[in-house]
Amino acid sequence: MTAVKVPKRAIAAIAMASFLGFAAFFWPFGVPAGSVDSAQTAPLLFGMLLLIVLAVVFAEIADGRIDAKALAMLGVLSAINAALRPLGAGTAGIETVFFVLVLAGRVFGPGFGFTLGCTSLFASALLTGGIGPWMPYQMFGCAWVGMLAGLLPKAKGKKEIVMLAAYAAFSGYLFGFLMNLSFWPFSVDPNSSVAYEPGLPPLEQLQRYLVFFSVTSLGWDTGRAVTSAILVALAGPAVLGAFRRAARRARFQAKPVFTGAGNRPPAQREDSGDLEGGQSPLRQAQRDDAPPADAGDGLQHERAHDHPKAEQG
Amino acid sequence: MRLDRALHPVAWWLWAIALATAASQTSNPLLLLLIFAVLGLVVTARRANAPWARAFHYYLIMALIIIAIRVVFRSVFATGITADDHILFTLPQVRLPEWYAGIQIGGPVSLQATLSAVIDGMRLACLLCCIGAANSLANPKRALRVLPGALYELGVAVTVALSVAPQLVESVQRVARARKLRAGRRRGLRAFRSIALPVLHDALDRSLKLAAAMDSRGYGRTGAATPRSRRLTGALMLAGMAGLCVGAYGLLDPSVPRAAGITGFAAGIACSAAGLALGSRRVSRTQYRPDPWRWPEWTVAGCGVVTAVVLSLGLGYDPAALNPVLYPLQWPDLPLLPTVAILLAGAAAFASPPPPAGARA
Amino acid sequence: MIEFADVSVTYEEASQPVLRDVSLSIPEGELCLVIGPTGTGKSTLLGTINGLVPHFTGGTLAGRVSVDGQSTADHPPREFAGLVGVVGQDPVAGFVTDTVEEELAYGMEQLAIAPSVMRTRVEETLDLLGLADLRHRGLHELSGGQQQRVAIGAALTAHPRVLVLDEPTSALDPTGAEDVLAAITRLVHDLGVTVVLAEHRLERVIPYADRVLYVAGDGTVESGTPARILALSRVAPPLVHLGRLAGWEPLPLSVRDARRHAGSLRETLPPQPPVPHRRSHATGVTALTAQGIVVRHGAVYAVRGVDVSLYAGQVTALMGRNGSGKSSLLWALHGAGPRSAGKVDAAEKVGLVPQTATDLLYLDTVGAELSQADRDGAATGTARSILDSLAAGIPDSAHPRDLSAGQQLALVLAIQLTVTPGVVLLDEPTRGLDYDAKAALARTLDQLASQGRSVVVATHDVEFAATVADRVVVLAEGEIVADGPAPEVLTASPSFAPQITKVLAPLPYLTLGQIQAVTG
Repeated sequence: MTAVKVPKRAIAAIAMASFLGFAAFFWPFGVPAGSVDSAQTAPLLFGMLLLIVLAVVFAEIADGRIDAKALAMLGVLSAINAALRPLGAGTAGIETVFFVLVLAGRVFGPGFGFTLGCTSLFASALLTGGIGPWMPYQMFGCAWVGMLAGLLPKAKGKKEIVMLAAYAAFSGYLFGFLMNLSFWPFSVDPNSSVAYEPGLPPLEQLQRYLVFFSVTSLGWDTGRAVTSAILVALAGPAVLGAFRRAARRARFQAKPVFTGAGNRPPAQREDSGDLEGGQSPLRQAQRDDAPPADAGDGLQHERAHDHPKAEQG
Repeated sequence: MRLDRALHPVAWWLWAIALATAASQTSNPLLLLLIFAVLGLVVTARRANAPWARAFHYYLIMALIIIAIRVVFRSVFATGITADDHILFTLPQVRLPEWYAGIQIGGPVSLQATLSAVIDGMRLACLLCCIGAANSLANPKRALRVLPGALYELGVAVTVALSVAPQLVESVQRVARARKLRAGRRRGLRAFRSIALPVLHDALDRSLKLAAAMDSRGYGRTGAATPRSRRLTGALMLAGMAGLCVGAYGLLDPSVPRAAGITGFAAGIACSAAGLALGSRRVSRTQYRPDPWRWPEWTVAGCGVVTAVVLSLGLGYDPAALNPVLYPLQWPDLPLLPTVAILLAGAAAFASPPPPAGARA
Repeated sequence: MIEFADVSVTYEEASQPVLRDVSLSIPEGELCLVIGPTGTGKSTLLGTINGLVPHFTGGTLAGRVSVDGQSTADHPPREFAGLVGVVGQDPVAGFVTDTVEEELAYGMEQLAIAPSVMRTRVEETLDLLGLADLRHRGLHELSGGQQQRVAIGAALTAHPRVLVLDEPTSALDPTGAEDVLAAITRLVHDLGVTVVLAEHRLERVIPYADRVLYVAGDGTVESGTPARILALSRVAPPLVHLGRLAGWEPLPLSVRDARRHAGSLRETLPPQPPVPHRRSHATGVTALTAQGIVVRHGAVYAVRGVDVSLYAGQVTALMGRNGSGKSSLLWALHGAGPRSAGKVDAAEKVGLVPQTATDLLYLDTVGAELSQADRDGAATGTARSILDSLAAGIPDSAHPRDLSAGQQLALVLAIQLTVTPGVVLLDEPTRGLDYDAKAALARTLDQLASQGRSVVVATHDVEFAATVADRVVVLAEGEIVADGPAPEVLTASPSFAPQITKVLAPLPYLTLGQIQAVTG
């Protein structure tokens, strides 16, 4: 079940975007001294780049048509994420966004996960007035977390939950690691010994960063990893169930079938009328014992009543 | 006679980004303080009565935290104390293993180092507050309309999210209240379940109804894009990405000539932008009551840009005044032209029309 | 305008079509009312008009549906947006934006209508639906009726030639519903829009309908004039049932018509009904006494010093307009809601079914919900047997959210009854229920009363109160303004009376049963 089809072109775009994303985060370890003017330009430059990259990837995915069902789902889940996010922000490291992102990516597929990562962060930034140069980095990070969740291998039952919980914890750490990396070069006083210093050998640079990371946000990220994993482990089955039910009901990529006389020119009407559709006397005689599967929502209540005696009273 | 209306969000963003650019050019604490003052003035004068407009003081708090963190980091992981430094106090020093070469914890804390940390922090905080000002001045929902057509779906999804989020909060309150009615009231995780799941189910069910409504109301009608223009769009975008990749690679690998990297970046950005522009033809739609761009918009964006230009060019005054030295320690000068330029940015508070009273959107 | 030619609809994984060989045509400018019991295919029928069925829902459509000559097979629903406007049951669920003006413009933006045209159309729509004062308001600050009017306006701004409304008032209180229905009838008369309307508050719209489609439940659809269809329909307002009973020709569709027929009937009926409107189970044993109840929300006093006693076996209808304090009083009586002053003495446990019953359901299957209820304080199987007595045949494996509104209500009621409360409070249970489901609910409440429980129903629905209540309490501004036996309170004022009382006034008859008892 994928809610959003990812066209081939978009896959190519995502592959290149990943390379650029990698460069945007890890440049402090690779850029030789002097190739970027200052520790402040590179993050801004890469922030702009990421914005363009995200726009291109999103446009490419959307070109494969995000239908109304997927889009509405995207909007509603982004709203849930945006509403959940402030809950976590104040309390040490409790991160609630990853939980929904991972589970939704898992159920609705990698394309949906990617777009949900973008829209969630964007919506949340708009709601809380948090638009800024950090946003592309966060969107990129979340888009990746959501997409990878959709690419995890098949598993069922407890195994699936364990896998998702482990992934949630891992992505919590990774996200923290990357986000810190994105502002590390310019946010620390260049004269302190854990600051980014242009031109240092990669290993030494990494050492400095690791100290910075462990001092500033390791605890926070541990909080995020642990809460995400616990949330997935405890509430995962129920939420997965809810998502899967929604996916089933939505029938993403449903194929409408038109048969019968009326859709052809009148001349052909006579001979094709009885061939198909619900018109054969035999089929009419059949009784409907099983409830028909879910149809669109406005039509929801009609299903329940197909149980002959199911109405109250 | 000036009518109250919301200024075009892009004008506010241009103004704020320009001011941030100006701030990034100076480490003169007096000029930075002046920029803070201008931000405060404009935000107080021109923010609307809306939730996002309250973001500014969170940014101020963040700014203080940034300065504090800078000072603490500078003191704890101190390096580069010279003989000229005025030592304030000395922290106990921690011996680190050999392989942690170059990282020092503890040691003497000097006045100059602390001041430089404060000023550097102030500059960063000032950048942050510029962004905060834009966030609280520009209406985010109007800003969404600036998105190019190629990102139409992103805009719609976010619009939906913005209108659904408050309903979710309501829904949580209602379910939490109703929960009290059921016997054997659950605590802990079960309580979470009994609140979260009804809300989640409601939200998911709602998304399907919303989808049906959107479909009936014409969402996703195809525009003027032909298969050929779509192929061209795709080619442009992929070429653009490839160009960006080349540029990034050039930046990371010193053996690639810089010109190649920069060309890659430039070509990449151009191709991507062209692709996005062409891709926008995929959807055709119009805008209800588009935000006008009139002289207040020009003025606001313009006075921001002038400030940025004056501080970047360094002409007409001593450029050294922008970055006063700490050795020897002295009171910084206030250069005239930059001061005037920054004050000019404050004119945005009067050039922009007053925000509509009580308007939410 | 709308043509159905041999249309059958079969959903995927369903063995039997929802609609079968439907052929009909709806001319331009008609108000066409679609009636039929819930769950028979009304929504499917409406969905086929703009192609949501099967484009959106999946499934197979045989035959041809065309609007203004365009077949739904050739165009997806979005291409019909300029031709067919659709309004759903729950207005809030269909809103894309969050202010009135933007919502009105949204559809036009999708159709790429020029900004200047949009501006004028929004203005005219604001006037047409009486929304001008609300133009800048957030959609969530509006009342249900206002929201639904915005939804109708949003569909209208695209200037569709057909407007399809699927039970637009089922989620609204009566005031809101009246507003919406008045707006719809005005549209038909002023704009000549073809309106297809599914509605179960028939009494309000029937006088204006040009045509009625009766969706029978076996997949067939019957089309005809209102009088002809209603003469046969199982779904009909009390007025029509009265007309049928009295053999009036043509069948009266409004109180006014009926009163003109009713002269002779009034003369034959005895001045006092020979039988009560319902058989009371009241015992006179006090089940709950409340004294001096005050509920304050912020600066507003929702309930102002109410004294009330409830008796075992008695069904009490709590009536009053929106915001009169009904809900607050129920919650205060239950004890879960805030209570600023006063005390409640209940001899037995009190159970409350809230307005949105599904808020209480959080498990995946009906079975799990029932066994959870058992664990909360009853022997295993109790909840199941209660549910079966209320609504038989709901399988354990069903998802609670897939049930119909009536079934969900029964499930929540069963869960609340499992802990055997002596007093059962229901907050607006009839919202969204059709005639059949209401009748079933009335039977359920009667059954609860016969078990010696005291039942309180907060409702706006006069007809429902007339069939189910022994006693009626009317609240206004947080105070009790009337409290007495149902016949006394309900016949006291003509505007507050059930249809049959209105037709037969000044005779104090409430239900059809009372007349049947006389005429035999």
